[in-house]
Amino acid sequence: MMIEINNVNKIYNEGTPQAFEALKSIDMQIDEGEAVVLSGVSGSGKSTLLSLIAGLDKPSSGKIIVDGELISKLPDLHASAYRAKTVGVIFQHFNLLESLSVEENVIATLIHSGFNMTTIQEMTRKSMALASISHKATTDVKSLSGGEKQRCAIARALVHEPKLILCDEPTANLDRANSLKFIEILQSLHNMGKTIIVATHDPLFEGLSFVSKVVHMRDGAIGNE
Amino acid sequence: MLDKRLMNSAFLHFLTLLLFKQKSKHIGAVLISVIIIFLLSAVLFISSSLQYSLLSTLKTQADFSVSRVQAGKSVNTPLEWVDKIMEINGVSRVAPRVYGRYFFTPRENDFLVVGIDFFDEQNSEELKKLVEQLDLKTFLSSESMLVGEGVKKFLSAHYFKDYFTFKTPQGSFKKVKISQTLPTEANLVANDMIIMPIDLSREIFGLEEDEVTDVTFNVPNDAEWDNIITKLHLMFYDVRVVEKREIKKAYENLYNYKGGLFLILYLVTITTFILILYQRYSMVYSTERKEIGILRAIGWSIKDILKLKFYENLTIVIVSFILGVILAYLYVFIWDAPLLSQIFLGSANLSNNVSFTPVVEFGLLGSIFLFYAVPFLAAVLIPAWKIAVTPPKEAML
Repeated sequence: MMIEINNVNKIYNEGTPQAFEALKSIDMQIDEGEAVVLSGVSGSGKSTLLSLIAGLDKPSSGKIIVDGELISKLPDLHASAYRAKTVGVIFQHFNLLESLSVEENVIATLIHSGFNMTTIQEMTRKSMALASISHKATTDVKSLSGGEKQRCAIARALVHEPKLILCDEPTANLDRANSLKFIEILQSLHNMGKTIIVATHDPLFEGLSFVSKVVHMRDGAIGNE
Repeated sequence: MLDKRLMNSAFLHFLTLLLFKQKSKHIGAVLISVIIIFLLSAVLFISSSLQYSLLSTLKTQADFSVSRVQAGKSVNTPLEWVDKIMEINGVSRVAPRVYGRYFFTPRENDFLVVGIDFFDEQNSEELKKLVEQLDLKTFLSSESMLVGEGVKKFLSAHYFKDYFTFKTPQGSFKKVKISQTLPTEANLVANDMIIMPIDLSREIFGLEEDEVTDVTFNVPNDAEWDNIITKLHLMFYDVRVVEKREIKKAYENLYNYKGGLFLILYLVTITTFILILYQRYSMVYSTERKEIGILRAIGWSIKDILKLKFYENLTIVIVSFILGVILAYLYVFIWDAPLLSQIFLGSANLSNNVSFTPVVEFGLLGSIFLFYAVPFLAAVLIPAWKIAVTPPKEAML
């Protein structure tokens, strides 16, 4: 089992009148190499669940175990190491460092990896090739199109060769052609044996052959799988 | 010991990259910091240099000078005092002196006229060298004088190229040849000075042959100073004693960095500095918030973020400090501090062309560095830490 989620709850502003229950008693298991789609309307809790699996936030209660590691209780240093080694995240708004070039954004992930600069540059080159963005390596991110930014984000998410790839509304800011291209890249990553979780409400993800599971979410809870 | 990770070429590469790519973000703070460091260092260099020059000059002066006072008013001192003072045990190099301010009546300027015995051993090293170079026979036979650079320029501008005619108190005129100009290095104390034979100065100030303005002497044993003062008061009921250590205190206070003009300068720099700190603090919260969130999301720990921000801003601090200090050094010691030197030296009497002797007080420079570096780094690291400890998801919003 790659991911095990047991009775996870997430409450924002807990203990205040503005308390909001974003996730309610979530249970889920995902095997290694599986491609899973979390679907649901905006505010259904899929992005929150994804951020908990990515270690970007902590659940209010419950357990999340990834690759045998209880990530819901990790202290900062271990949580950072988990994000740096095991997970690659592709965000809806790309979240790139705008003042840096494509190559420099990708390199940023490996600064504390312990590899020397030659190895880092080699890994960066491979990752940019995989995401089809090598031709823009030295271009500053701020002058890229939406699709190119997306591919830069993919290259950054893949550079450290993570086992788990998480995509949060990856096609929300892309046109149809770029969205289809992104799905192609996802398929190739699936073929490489990566575990993939995509949170989306894009109909293009419906009925994809390589997707093993579609989890519908509504009001912070899982509907039918 | 240097941090192992700092030695990591990837970290250094990324640090350099961020500094160069985001230079527009730092340029304002660097410029203002350079100006602040430059101002503080320039003032420090000037005051240290002036104090050094004055105290060096003072070292060559006599330990005591005594003169006669009557009802609190200075009057001429009898020459016989020289012999009486010589009789006191522990006293050496007793010399009569005539000096006073001579007013150049067409303009409101004055010169300091000092009359000395050229055959005596001179107290001042500069004067000693100058006297050695002089052809004393010609100098003394032709009624000549040595003038400071400021006096020379001033007299030349008023068409007194080779001679100057003094008016004596008796209403007669005394024509004196301008023999030589005193060296530029002595400008701080000798710019407005005229040195001439003691007899000539007596004539100009209307003193009798058995009168001087004061008598100077040394007391090599410091422990005897107070005893000597007591003896002088017992010997002469109307004596005024000026000690070298009192003059030293006055010089030290004159260019003391802890008071007066410096306090105003500190207030201005502190106000400007607070503005920079506010700018850095706000910048981290606004523009760097997302950057920190992104780096955290891709696996950077809180420690990694703080390390990046620390070294990034330490580089800015060091670059600004070195630039500010180098500029101040060039400004003061190479270009002789135009504008700022006038604040220190004033230009009420004769305009002065002072060359500052390079004196660098590393202890004070270190204090300026700490005064600047610690709040600067804190203004960045505190907000950076606050952002880094929030969940990356929130910081990226």
